[in-house]
Amino acid sequence: MSDAFFRYWPAIIAGIVGAAIPRRDSTKLRAGLGFIAAFLVFSIQALWPEDASAAHAVASEWPHLLNVLIFLPLLGAAAVLFMPRQLLGLLRGFTLGVLGLGFALSLMLLTVPMTTGWHFVSIHEWIPAMGVRWHVAVDGISLWLILLTTFMTPIAVYAAFGSIKTRIKEFCFAFLLLQGAMLGAFVSLDLFQFYMFWELMLVPMYVMIGIWGGADKVKASVKFFLYTMAGSMLMLAAIVYLVWTHQKLTGTWTFDYLALSRVVLPGPSAAAGGWNNAWQVTKSPQGLCFWAFSIAFFIKVPMWPLHTWLPDAHVQAPTGGSVILAAVMLKLGTYAYMRFSMGLFPGPASSFAANLAGIAILGGIIYGALVAWKQQDVKRLVAYSSVAHLGYVMLGLFGVSPSGMQGAVLQMVNHGVSTGALFLLVGVIYDRRHTRMVDEFGGLAKQMPIYAALFLIVTFASIGVPGTNGFVGEFMVIMGTYTSERLSTFSGIHTIGASAGVILAAVYMLGVTQKIFFGPLTNPKNKHLPDLTVRETLAVAPLIVMIFVIGFFPSIFLDRMKDAVQLEYNQFKNASEQSIRFGDEKNAQMLPEDNFAPEFLRGAPGFKEEKPADDDKQARGEGEAQ
Amino acid sequence: MEALKSQFPAANFSLLAVVLLLPLLGAFVNGIFGKRLGKQGVRLMALSAIGGSFLASLLTFLMLPRGEAAEEGGHLAWNAWHWFTITGKMQQAIPIDVSFAIDGLNATMMLVVTGVGFLIHLYSSEYMWKDEGYHRFFAYLNLFCFSMLVLIMADNLALLFVGWEGVGMCSYLLIGFWFGETKNASAGRKAFIVNRIGDFGLLVAMSMLVYYLGTLRFSSIDLAATNLSVPVKIWPIGNLSADTLPSFVAAVILPKEPVMVYASTLVGLALFLGCAGKSAQLPLYIWLPDAMAGPTPVSALIHAATMVTAGVYLVARMGAVFILSPAAMATVAVVGAATALFAASIGLFQHDLKKVLAYSTVSQLGFMFIGVGMGAFASGFFHVFTHAFFKACLFLGAGSVIHAMHVRIHDTDKSQDMRNMGGLRKYLPITHATFLISCLSIAGVPPLAGFWSKDEILWKAFSNEIAAPRTVNGLVPWAWPTWLGVAIYWVGIVAATMTAFYMFRAYFLTFHGDFKGWTIVRGWTDPHAGHGHDDHHDAPHDDVKGDGPEPHESPLAMTIPLMVLAAFALLAGFLNAELIHVAPLGHLLEGVFKADEVAVHERAAAHGKEMMMLVPGILAFVAGIGAAAYVYLQNKGAQETAFAKSFPRLYKLIYDKWRIDELYEATVIGMVDALADIFQMADTWIVDGILAKLSAAIVGAAGTVLRAFQTGKVQAYSASMVIGLAGVGWFLVRPHAVTSIDDTKLKQTGEVVVSAAPGFGYSYNWAGPGLAPTSDFSATREITIPLQPGDKKDVVLQVKNAFNGVDTQTITVARPGKKAAAPTPGANPMDDLAPGGKVVIPGDKIPDLLRGLHQ
Repeated sequence: MSDAFFRYWPAIIAGIVGAAIPRRDSTKLRAGLGFIAAFLVFSIQALWPEDASAAHAVASEWPHLLNVLIFLPLLGAAAVLFMPRQLLGLLRGFTLGVLGLGFALSLMLLTVPMTTGWHFVSIHEWIPAMGVRWHVAVDGISLWLILLTTFMTPIAVYAAFGSIKTRIKEFCFAFLLLQGAMLGAFVSLDLFQFYMFWELMLVPMYVMIGIWGGADKVKASVKFFLYTMAGSMLMLAAIVYLVWTHQKLTGTWTFDYLALSRVVLPGPSAAAGGWNNAWQVTKSPQGLCFWAFSIAFFIKVPMWPLHTWLPDAHVQAPTGGSVILAAVMLKLGTYAYMRFSMGLFPGPASSFAANLAGIAILGGIIYGALVAWKQQDVKRLVAYSSVAHLGYVMLGLFGVSPSGMQGAVLQMVNHGVSTGALFLLVGVIYDRRHTRMVDEFGGLAKQMPIYAALFLIVTFASIGVPGTNGFVGEFMVIMGTYTSERLSTFSGIHTIGASAGVILAAVYMLGVTQKIFFGPLTNPKNKHLPDLTVRETLAVAPLIVMIFVIGFFPSIFLDRMKDAVQLEYNQFKNASEQSIRFGDEKNAQMLPEDNFAPEFLRGAPGFKEEKPADDDKQARGEGEAQ
Repeated sequence: MEALKSQFPAANFSLLAVVLLLPLLGAFVNGIFGKRLGKQGVRLMALSAIGGSFLASLLTFLMLPRGEAAEEGGHLAWNAWHWFTITGKMQQAIPIDVSFAIDGLNATMMLVVTGVGFLIHLYSSEYMWKDEGYHRFFAYLNLFCFSMLVLIMADNLALLFVGWEGVGMCSYLLIGFWFGETKNASAGRKAFIVNRIGDFGLLVAMSMLVYYLGTLRFSSIDLAATNLSVPVKIWPIGNLSADTLPSFVAAVILPKEPVMVYASTLVGLALFLGCAGKSAQLPLYIWLPDAMAGPTPVSALIHAATMVTAGVYLVARMGAVFILSPAAMATVAVVGAATALFAASIGLFQHDLKKVLAYSTVSQLGFMFIGVGMGAFASGFFHVFTHAFFKACLFLGAGSVIHAMHVRIHDTDKSQDMRNMGGLRKYLPITHATFLISCLSIAGVPPLAGFWSKDEILWKAFSNEIAAPRTVNGLVPWAWPTWLGVAIYWVGIVAATMTAFYMFRAYFLTFHGDFKGWTIVRGWTDPHAGHGHDDHHDAPHDDVKGDGPEPHESPLAMTIPLMVLAAFALLAGFLNAELIHVAPLGHLLEGVFKADEVAVHERAAAHGKEMMMLVPGILAFVAGIGAAAYVYLQNKGAQETAFAKSFPRLYKLIYDKWRIDELYEATVIGMVDALADIFQMADTWIVDGILAKLSAAIVGAAGTVLRAFQTGKVQAYSASMVIGLAGVGWFLVRPHAVTSIDDTKLKQTGEVVVSAAPGFGYSYNWAGPGLAPTSDFSATREITIPLQPGDKKDVVLQVKNAFNGVDTQTITVARPGKKAAAPTPGANPMDDLAPGGKVVIPGDKIPDLLRGLHQ
């Protein structure tokens, strides 16, 4: 007990300071802030990267953890259906309870060292006739996106309960379903399963925009749905083709990502310029499947020119929906590109790298920022700023350098935290004034000082001022861009373009902050706006703290992802070389297993490790239904 | 001392934590609990934080390694924690730590930042007393000191960047401190954005350093810098080449030889872009004059003494990189000289006291860049040091004057206008004395601090020569022409003359002559009592020429800092008076710059002329002060009015700061703005138009067409039914010879079964090799054709239906030769394992496989 006290005294002090912060006398607020402060300091201490020598004994992995994480909200959603709609307190409490429990459980993912390879693997036969399996696992990359999801959803739901007053039951149902689907998509390693969750995710979000949205909600929700669906159809076709080819080559049906990543589809014709001719690459089965997958993901990211659904969806979505959409759902696009497009089609991903990076810079970082600058609606502005920020993420992925990819993953988390916070904060003035037009505001800092201060902090995070989270990610991406081998002669000009983006970020974010908060308070409607409520403060506080935690202690995050990123990097490098050098223009091939790290293939159907598995691996293999 | 040394070993000098964390703690406490603490509490917190930090800095300074250890680059280091790791070229892991290293250079800077910082905190605690944002002000000010300390103490460029942007952010917050006025908020934003343009350069420089040197630590950069001597192709970029461009474009934009530049030059220029942004050099100086919208102590601390000199510090820190590139050095020196002259010229005719000081700061920063650009790092840094004192003193003096003016004039602009001042020396004796000392110092009057540092820079500009680095890969480095240093020297002399002139113009206008603010009435009381002196809102009752009380000297908390700073402005020069060989500071810095100054030599022609070249410098201040005294003391500014009358346009142009802001507005900003507008339109009409609206329109149109058939009218439906039935009827009336071939037994028995489709009243007639020739139609629907390997047979089928219509079809059946026997459908392609373990399906087998799939 006293040991624990001496080890964790900073957390206790942080808790006391946190509780002392609010000036308003609200026990709830004090307790909430105190808990948040103490919990975060405790987490930092507990998660501080340790030397290899001091690493704990490897904790055993509970193989059902991921299943529980996915099915807890799904079952919760089902349970909500059986609750009376009049008992609002029960509905709200239950939903928050389920999501909170999910967050607590997801912290268990941090208890094991994130070494190379898959963790918390759980494999079950599902539809054996088609070779479809239930295959879930995390590595250092998806780990952070799962935690981001379980962290952001309770916050979004908690904040949303403040502003959403109609159809609470349906709202709870939709949110729980969404949570399950998003988590499922992040951990699926079976393409069938992934596709199912990918599509399932759309439904609750579609409903959410369509029911609780703004004036033009139906149009926006349909646009959102159709846009995403169009991409998904392409991906489905490519999945089927890939699975079929695999069956032809090996005789077994499987949708397993690990097994399918060995397939090398026919490449471009060498006579017509081969891999140097972008059109030939596109025309080849490899290129077509790459684009079919990637367009589905680029729509979700969204990348220019497939981004126009995003501003509409964001403007119409309710605050909670916007937060989840921006913080988590867009990350599925970037994550899926990283995992599936790069994993399954390394050849085209490598040969298009410089071009795609150019699109990410010109279309995302620069175009997105300039268009954001011209927006009158704050939510539209934040939506376009997402296009710009995700441009950095995509640039990091296209460049395929270890720094760039780590930066990209970190930037995914960063964008989730800071843009989520921005949407929450924009929701605050929308709830009060029912408008988000910048011209309606001005001089709010006098009237709402706490709100202004928090908004300014998030603004600086979004701009990427060092010390906040945005900086580390952007910095790593920019450094990765210059050192990238993939971008070769373009790396210099790409670096300049990406760095120029930091100027534009300041231009549009500071512009909107100034228009809302500074200058004289002229609009009489703004003269009596109340500052943040207890609920709003408690919802934003964890995000604000996270901004600084990631900014100052990024190694907590980077240390746990670096092995996974390194594995992906090595594999991409090797597999792209293999498929470019040996890829046949007519015939599909299987890359031999020794092209892949055994840690990567472990769990693939039919994969047998050569050396006898030790105890640890056996424990992990128990779930496999081979 | 020994006990301290064992407590804080040089390799783990955790005392630095105290230096850093106290201001941070102050910022946190004041920012969050400030309102509850009350003003006294805030003052105590802020002052003790920065004061404690100063004491710790002093201790650090005293504990610096001395003697030989210092000359070998000994320093105090403290590694706080591991920040993150990036990966460079060839998978090299580059750790980026939150770690600090202190040598003579930044220990001196620490003393300046915390020392001058403390004085300015003390001053502000009185100056800002009546402001409602008192706690907010001190939170920002403490945060600024923290960021500035991070900037100067960092041992790597990434951590320096934290401080670099941190001070920019604090500057933004403090310039826009009175955010109620749009003008102030805009000035803050402008400062931040212009600084960001510089930061862009810094980011690019860092990525190049990571690539070429694999490190961002200053000590490692110093060691590895020569790796930057590699030629880099800067044009054509990307894959631009004669192959990828249309020939007429290629002929225009592609040079015969690719344009190559040394990486050191690129890094140097990119770094200098960052420095130019932060230190307000051409072309990025435009934010600094606007930054005077902040409270005056802020102008003193941030925009004169500390933050704006960060660029000079960085060039000095990165000296090892700069000396590799005479071109980058020349850029620094020439930009510095141009800025010194240009800003001084704007300063000549400004009416706003703070604006004069602002342009003077820009100009003095130019001098510092001349110093570091000429390879005289220590001299450039020494000017940073002395400038911190006299410029802070001048700004605080101006603040004291404004404080006095605020008794009656509440408008910010009017209270700073020198045309409303005059004769203040009898009302503000202490302010007057300290202001005069600082003016003399900045004008370069010996033996004041400014004389030593400015003279040293000009002499070095005259005498130094940068040796060209060795040639790598045949790319001849740019050589430093001998006349350049001399030209910079003379530009510096002209700028120094102007400095003396405009500083004394400001001095005479403010402190001499008659008071012009209002008619002084003894015992006058403000009828609008309740307005604080720092109430910066436009007060409508500001009738400038009305009655008012005597301007009064500021309280002690404001005058003590003035006196201390004036003392330093008077005496600090003797810390590095090279001319008379009293140079303890120079000695301290020797170890820091020893390695950097190897490429810097004294020109042979300049040898021994040190005393001679002093004369123009002395003449400069004599002429400047004399002219100012003649015009403004003797003739009350008559000549200025005459000049304005005879050259109204030139006068206006200079007064409008050469209209550079307007130029930028029309060019760069206008272009970006137009581009953003175009993008915005394109986004709505082209991107969204084509992808969403057009595709929706196509689907919609298809729906509209199809809808035309769904009229709901029974007549229309029955009509189409009749047409359909007629079509089916016609189909039935016609005979159709359709066959299907079953070759499953081909491999075993060599037989193919051909069967014809049945129909109403059909009879069939088969003809072909191996079949009995017949002209009759029979009911035989199916025939079996035996085939030998390599056989190919044509079978003719005739079909007659009940209406005696006849249809004919020819079927070809074949059996491949033995060697090319068709594989068993569904056979395992694993049999065809290619060597090397790769599974290959030959392309010609794919159709067979396909067929197998369908069965």
